[in-house]
Amino acid sequence: MSEKLLEIKDLCVSAGEKEILNGINLKINKGEIHVIMGPNGSGKTTTANAILNNPEYTKTNGKILFEDEDITDLKTDEIARKGVFMSFQLPEEIPGISVTNFLKYAKNKITGEPVKIFAFKEELKKYMEELKMNPKNMERSLNVGFSGGEKKKNEILQMLVLNPKLAILDETDSGLDVDAIKTVSKGIEMFKNKDNAVLIITHNTKILHSLKVDYVHILVDGKIVKTGNQDLATIIENEGYGKYKNK
Amino acid sequence: MPDLKLNETPVRTARNFNCNNIVLKDLKIPENYKAFNNIEIDIDNSKIDLEEEISSSKLTYGLGDLLEEQAMKSPNKKIKLNIKGKSNKESIISFNFNEENKNLIDNIEIIAEENSKANIFIKYSFSNSTACKNANCENIMCEKGKNSEKLNNSYENYYHNGIIRLFAKANSSIKLTVVNLLNEVSQNFLSIENNLQENANLDFCIVDFGGKNSITNYYTNLEGEASKNNLNAIYLGKDEQVFDLNYIGALRGKKSVMNIEVQGALNGKSKKNFKGTLDFKRGAKKAKGDENEFCMLLSDTAKSLALPMLLCEEEDVEGNHSTAAGKLGGKELFYIMSRGFNKKEAMKLIVRAKFNKILDTISKEDLKNEILKEIDNRLN
Amino acid sequence: MEKNKTQVEEINRNIYDIKNKDDYDFKIKKGLTKEIINEISDQKKDPDWMREFRLKALEVYNKLELPTWGPDLSELNMNEIATYVRPKSKLNTSWEDVPEDIKNTFDKLGIPEAEKTSLAGVGAQYDSEVVYHSMKEDLIKQGVIYTDMETAVREYPELVKEHFMKCVPVYDHKFVALHGAVWSGGSFVYVPKNVKVDIPLQSYFRLNSPESGQFEHTLIIVEEGASLHFIEGCSAPKYNKVNLHAGCVELYVKDNAYLRYSTIENWSKNMLNLNTKKAIVGKNAKMDWVSGSFGSKISMLYPMSILNGEGSKTEFTGISFAGKGQNLDNGFKVIHNAKNTSSVINAKSISKNGGTCTYRSLVRINENAKNSKCSVSCESLMLDDISKSDTIPVNDIRTDEVEFSHEAKIGKISDKAIFYLMSRGLSEEDAKAMIVRGFAYPISKELPLEYAVEMNNLINLELEGAIG
Repeated sequence: MSEKLLEIKDLCVSAGEKEILNGINLKINKGEIHVIMGPNGSGKTTTANAILNNPEYTKTNGKILFEDEDITDLKTDEIARKGVFMSFQLPEEIPGISVTNFLKYAKNKITGEPVKIFAFKEELKKYMEELKMNPKNMERSLNVGFSGGEKKKNEILQMLVLNPKLAILDETDSGLDVDAIKTVSKGIEMFKNKDNAVLIITHNTKILHSLKVDYVHILVDGKIVKTGNQDLATIIENEGYGKYKNK
Repeated sequence: MPDLKLNETPVRTARNFNCNNIVLKDLKIPENYKAFNNIEIDIDNSKIDLEEEISSSKLTYGLGDLLEEQAMKSPNKKIKLNIKGKSNKESIISFNFNEENKNLIDNIEIIAEENSKANIFIKYSFSNSTACKNANCENIMCEKGKNSEKLNNSYENYYHNGIIRLFAKANSSIKLTVVNLLNEVSQNFLSIENNLQENANLDFCIVDFGGKNSITNYYTNLEGEASKNNLNAIYLGKDEQVFDLNYIGALRGKKSVMNIEVQGALNGKSKKNFKGTLDFKRGAKKAKGDENEFCMLLSDTAKSLALPMLLCEEEDVEGNHSTAAGKLGGKELFYIMSRGFNKKEAMKLIVRAKFNKILDTISKEDLKNEILKEIDNRLN
Repeated sequence: MEKNKTQVEEINRNIYDIKNKDDYDFKIKKGLTKEIINEISDQKKDPDWMREFRLKALEVYNKLELPTWGPDLSELNMNEIATYVRPKSKLNTSWEDVPEDIKNTFDKLGIPEAEKTSLAGVGAQYDSEVVYHSMKEDLIKQGVIYTDMETAVREYPELVKEHFMKCVPVYDHKFVALHGAVWSGGSFVYVPKNVKVDIPLQSYFRLNSPESGQFEHTLIIVEEGASLHFIEGCSAPKYNKVNLHAGCVELYVKDNAYLRYSTIENWSKNMLNLNTKKAIVGKNAKMDWVSGSFGSKISMLYPMSILNGEGSKTEFTGISFAGKGQNLDNGFKVIHNAKNTSSVINAKSISKNGGTCTYRSLVRINENAKNSKCSVSCESLMLDDISKSDTIPVNDIRTDEVEFSHEAKIGKISDKAIFYLMSRGLSEEDAKAMIVRGFAYPISKELPLEYAVEMNNLINLELEGAIG
């Protein structure tokens, strides 16, 4: 059974004076993994930021529905609490707050319930082992001084802990070596179930080697120009975006 | 003569920190002086008009009332440059001190019209009238040191008090380089004031080497939106020279940008007070300011005082400053000496390397070479 | 998205604002004259040398000018300030004996509680006199002295005479002279050679009486090879007229000794806090300052380390948080006066709601301080566009064999960081508060737990109404 989770209708978004997205349509159902691919500057990161209503971007047209509710103009934290998660391409460094404390706090905000410390720590430990993360990082300030790979793994850890309905992974694979990409894919597999969905945003296809996806969308110049299955990714891998760019 | 207090900082701090101003004792301010005749002016006439009538309005900062009054009321040289169009040539005004021309009180006003462009050099230098004709200029400079006592007496009246004012109108783009290569028995006073309108871009470069005392006040009012001022300065002190540099940028316009980069080296018993202020005024949203000052101490009797101020009454700004002082890195020195240079040569090399970033912005090759030569002379 | 801006509301300072009745045993008449000083001396039963000292300090006070820099102090009228207020309590060594209303105030501030759990000794001053002092038995046995200043003047005259206002001489500035003339209360600590006091000692200063001043004198001597952590807390309820705090802290850190001096200052917002703190640091000794400045209407506070001993070190970690109507002009001074000395300065400030923070400092590395090091880092956060933040550091380097660096930054909370935290479900207010707490963390982590908690509460209290 398919059930609609996210629906984007005719979305146009600009940053400053510049229009970046011009008319995006996308539907994501529970249980699905979607991939948006596209060359640099095509609007992939903008799409992710627009879903979470980053105030740096302005929506000039269109709607975003989440579980049939209009979330277009909700504040970022309200959208997050509805169950949308975004793994950042460049996670911010927040000095002075440890990863553990941050996650505890965020989990409490998302669930609205007090966090049971012991169970929480056990859960954290389990995920970290799976993601091959250094336990020492947990007491360090959030992302401060983390390597690129550590930051990305930390994003996946947050996804697992906060357990959203829809996880948007913005370039989570970029800049990672083969082993790290495998670990990240494993994290996604651990997360994935029939009731949630994943939207992977990427400009290369490496991560798709170790992950089975349902839909691949090609984004060029702020529009989805082609949608297909995993085979489309293979075609892109071999041929590049050239033929879509001319359109 | 009462003590003369000059170069007040925009904000005072504790008196015993000794940096609210500089006090000069027993300074003789010349009262009767004749015309200053040794001036070379070579400007791009097609784009720049040369005039004499200059503004009489008061400076916002300046070095101090007494000196300002002298330069406003009774200068012995007034120059006004009116930049009408886009000039791609180098324009230079060169003041040459010698035994006949010992006192210069100059008042220079530069108006950059909208969309204009210019690259202007103002040079203050000294040449012994007989020496400079002599190809072997350096040797004579050296000999002077030996007889310094005698020479001090005859040179003690070298005096420069100047004002340089720039009004940069919208979208103008100006490069202005001021070079001080006066001798070590001069008194050098200079007040610089810039007003930048919308999108005006000013690249200012100061090379400050000469003078027994060299006291400079530099103030830029970044009034226009997106106006920008880069200030690059180098100083090089030796013997008992005193430098007092008071550089101020007032950021008023939205998205205005001010960068101050100062590199200096102090040898002998020289002393430098660097006072740099980035002043973010309310309303200067998205303004940015950066200020860096590095002082190389080349002797254990040299003294460096730095007061890098950040004043801020606007939230949406980015301001950074850093200063550092210390002697040349031992490793650096060792590396260069291991390539066969002696210590003095290695030191020169490092100082030149640090200055190069700023010197590279000087497009006039002959002037740049003259400055490089002067660096070598001063580090001997 | 709509940006939330500062509200101009008074913040509920709850526990700090408990006002007790101005119920004193003796309150000197307002003003500052020779007669008044003599009267204070009479009341305090000063020995002759102290009476003379006070009168001489008054002369110096009358000669010195107000500072020509920094915040405007023109509202201070010494004719409207009572410089000595003796509470209705003698010095007690048992908490039970402290009078009820005074006890309640300190109870609510958590003072006796902290003593039980994490302190080696506690002193509590109410207005001009210390009402309670106690210290753990084993420290007494090791010869540690922890008592109020008056007792010290009586019982350890030699030690006091040798050190009292020698580190901070009365002619340092006008308010030090004032302090010398009217000082009352404060703590005296003496740690004998090689004794390590592992748990902190704490003095808490509370000014209850309106239109009065507190002038406590803290004198700490840490002998060779000894170590101590001393904590100072201050608060007062808010009145409409100005109160004045002109305390003086003198610290002697002898060769190879270690002293950490932590302060959480939360005076009410009608207080002029013109405090003077100075340490003289001996050979291979170390002096650490941790300082949180939240209260006061005007604060001028620049603790100072004088590194007189070869190889001595000092570290300053401080934060100021200025809100509506506050002008906090704080900083640090260090003089490098011997070879191989080093200093590290970490200063932060937060301005909001029209408040002004100024970081003012002096680093002086003298000719004799070869091979010394100093690094300074200042960071200022502006929470809105009606506040002010200035950085005025003087760096005076007089020798070449040094490593000196200074860095400063000013700006607002990054929008990107707020978005990142909001994407994890935190509201904008929570996100900002988390970033501000994180900003202050380098200081709060240096404080004992209770104080760190207090500091975080203060930050939350200050941010309430500021953001959201």
